[in-house]
Amino acid sequence: MSEDFTQIGRALPRKEDRRFLLGKGRYLDDIAAGGALHACFVRAPHAHARLQSIDIAEAAALPGVAGVFTGADLAGWTAPLRLAPPIELLQPTEMTTLPIDKVRFMGDPVAVVLAADRYIAEDAAELVRVDYEDLPAVTTIAEALAERAPRVEEGVEGNLVSHQSFASGDVAARRAEAHRVVEARFSLQRHTHAPLETRGCLADWDEGREHLTVHVGTQAPHPYRSQLAARLGLSESQVTVSSPDIGGGFGQKIALYREELAVAALSRHLGRPVRWREDRIENLSAAAHAREATCRTRASVAEDGRILGLELWMEEDFGAYCFYPANYMARVVAMILTGPYRIRDYAYDVKVALTNKCGSGPMRAPMAMASWVMEGTLDAIAHDLCLDPLQVRRINIVRSADLPWRMATGEVLRDVTPAETLEGAVAALDMPAFRARQADARRGGRFLGLGICTVIESTTYGSDFYKSAGIPGSGHEAAWVRIEPSGAVNASVGLMGSGQGYESPLAQAVAEGLGVEAETVTLRMGHTDIAPYGMGSRGGRGATAGGGTLYLCAQKAQARVLEIAAHWLQVNATETLRLRAGRIERRLSGAWQDAGLGLADIARRAYLDPTALPPGIAPGLDVSLTYDPPPMTYSNATHACEVEVDIATGRVTVGRYLVAEDCGTVLNPIVVKGQQQGAVSMGLSGALFEEVIYDPAGQNLSATFADYLIATACETPEITILPMHTPSRHTPAGMKGMAEGGVMGAIGAIANAVNDALLPLGVKIERLPLSPMAIRAQLRARERDPPE
Amino acid sequence: MEPRVPIRLGVNGRQREMAVPARRLLSDALREELHLTGTHVGCEHGVCGACTVLIDGTPARACLTFAVQVEGREVTTVEALAEGGDLHPLQRALGEEHGLQCGFCTPGILMTFAAYLRDHPDPTEDEVRDVLSGNLCRCTGYQSIVAAVLKAAHALRMKAVG
Repeated sequence: MSEDFTQIGRALPRKEDRRFLLGKGRYLDDIAAGGALHACFVRAPHAHARLQSIDIAEAAALPGVAGVFTGADLAGWTAPLRLAPPIELLQPTEMTTLPIDKVRFMGDPVAVVLAADRYIAEDAAELVRVDYEDLPAVTTIAEALAERAPRVEEGVEGNLVSHQSFASGDVAARRAEAHRVVEARFSLQRHTHAPLETRGCLADWDEGREHLTVHVGTQAPHPYRSQLAARLGLSESQVTVSSPDIGGGFGQKIALYREELAVAALSRHLGRPVRWREDRIENLSAAAHAREATCRTRASVAEDGRILGLELWMEEDFGAYCFYPANYMARVVAMILTGPYRIRDYAYDVKVALTNKCGSGPMRAPMAMASWVMEGTLDAIAHDLCLDPLQVRRINIVRSADLPWRMATGEVLRDVTPAETLEGAVAALDMPAFRARQADARRGGRFLGLGICTVIESTTYGSDFYKSAGIPGSGHEAAWVRIEPSGAVNASVGLMGSGQGYESPLAQAVAEGLGVEAETVTLRMGHTDIAPYGMGSRGGRGATAGGGTLYLCAQKAQARVLEIAAHWLQVNATETLRLRAGRIERRLSGAWQDAGLGLADIARRAYLDPTALPPGIAPGLDVSLTYDPPPMTYSNATHACEVEVDIATGRVTVGRYLVAEDCGTVLNPIVVKGQQQGAVSMGLSGALFEEVIYDPAGQNLSATFADYLIATACETPEITILPMHTPSRHTPAGMKGMAEGGVMGAIGAIANAVNDALLPLGVKIERLPLSPMAIRAQLRARERDPPE
Repeated sequence: MEPRVPIRLGVNGRQREMAVPARRLLSDALREELHLTGTHVGCEHGVCGACTVLIDGTPARACLTFAVQVEGREVTTVEALAEGGDLHPLQRALGEEHGLQCGFCTPGILMTFAAYLRDHPDPTEDEVRDVLSGNLCRCTGYQSIVAAVLKAAHALRMKAVG
């Protein structure tokens, strides 16, 4: 890491914390709006049914109700969402704001009640009479892809919304020459994001100015505004999106949801503010789900464990509605599957199907499955060939001499250190000591296991990535830095944090580029009239795209400041000047000395005495910049996890958990550590407990926190981070990005650890979650049907 | 419109009066009637713990309590923790240990442990984890919260001695 940084890398406390600790954060429901109506949605009790009629009379007559509206009403005021990007074998999809002809999953909103308060709105919602004609539902991917299956969306033939395949090299030839061909199977259950703050919005149409203001917790305010304006038939000048503090997003707060669009349209229709806050049951059953997919791999391997060729078959259950192109998440899994391993011959076949379940979206690490599938395949190879799993990794891993490494899919790894993090984790673990303890424990009837998972985390998603993936959109980011007349520094960027704590690290990026102390920089984010048009927060792009753009923009601002200073000091070249801690310094005989000017002096002249500025320099100190990061940047980490499985109860206890991590230059070590620990625990919670469960009729059985289980403090282990950061040479300040990889690594590490523990019992878990019930079921089956 | 029931209660040391429908939740009454929006509503079925307040000094889920049930009682919310602008040792420790990210679960955790540490000044890590298991946090992974609570317990003991 650069020794020169004075602001980047500081353990600066988070600026947000004070207000949150005092109970003075301002989340959506904390915004007062006099006279606002409260919305409550009427939701379908069936997974698949034709809408025969909707009788709103009784509901509309309830005192306090301002109106009840259906899909037919909203179709008059809003445009449908049609997704038809020119991607091969991706079928176009379309949805209206609320369903008109039929409902596609249990929880589909069919009408909306507006009332004086939430209690009355809920009362009235129960009085809306909807006649449904039940239709057969498809609730598994096998049913969806079966011949003559009922169609979830009329226009999507066979429910196969996306089918992609790829081949590089000659996997059939590798299979023919292989010492062994090893197959493995991985099934990841349906998850949901479950942010502590559910979705909601407050829309306020100003009839006089013909302007709509929408307060909504969104990770991507500008793309959200573009969508909202287009679907309401308004210009982007007529819509302001303002995001307050957000109580967690994890990918759930990116898309413009149908409920939010309906609320905005109704505010405009009625000329009154309208607010909506979903309850937890709605959030768990009807907001967005994620992840449900099955992967099968076939590895052709040499006697020493070298992988000669790899094949992947993946099937993803996408639910009923597409808010994103359906190929998008599965594609990234397939694209980066081979990750840090030298595999030249690779082929995949990826199918995505629609089912009568809640629609899927990206959830923290949309590509989460990739590391588990790759590392589980490595363990399967080791088991099959009776090799040490570590040895199989060592023989296949990309080493520094291999860089830049072009994966079979064309993705390029530069400036990554997977072999180093693997060895770092292994050294910290003391493998021989663990194996001895494990053998001891087994003699005593206890089953310990160790899992390793090396992660390659895709972060920047620059515009070239989208273009080559055939997805419309951009990966650029935008920033401005303003030095006000007093010398105060404001800055903005198109990101919007949902709890990560952007304010300090991004202030540090600005402070480093400009030459001031980070404490003096204020970030303004989340308001489309203030922030420049950027692509928002998603994936691991916050630091690299957002922080990088701010850093470059601040450097540009410093250059302006120095031009003015040079003229003031009658110095010919700005190279002998710099701004440090808000003071102009001048290099004299090799040493930097205070030049007697501060940023406030320069700012005052720039704004209030512009005739004293050098020729060609315009008044003011207001700099903006856009930046398109590399098509892709990768950070890497190796996770290691020790577990004990109680074979009598099926309970998994996580012992040690460590992560050797390289995410490049770290803006703020406090925030990076918190993100890594948070991501790992989210991954573990998902791998161990969480599961969205539908019964065969498509009824959601996991719509409360008593059913959708999230790990508590008692099940979450201590997570140790070993920082092994090396800067990237291809991003501003050397940042690589992080905060999703922890989820990827956790799923792989714990699944491998549990299987390591169960190995002597001849049991292999191929499906998550690793719940006590699931583990006991497998052990019971083995007891009933012992191997020959 | 629904009939309203007049109630009197103490909130953060002040006597308050309001008239609420009998079914109005305490969480809604605090947030909407009294504008004390620090009490957050995360699940409305008593699992997540974000709405935890103290009723006569004992932690309770404001989302599972009707406002009319607290007639004549004393309710304490997160807004009362800092005294005269000085953060409570729990607030300070959570900040120092990075025991919060999005901040939505934080008020409930603060209130849970404000009461717990008053009654159990020297808890073990296991005891802290056990109590914390009544509050869901989706961001931190809990370990920094556990560290903060132990640190605050120490600070409170020092304060009691000093």
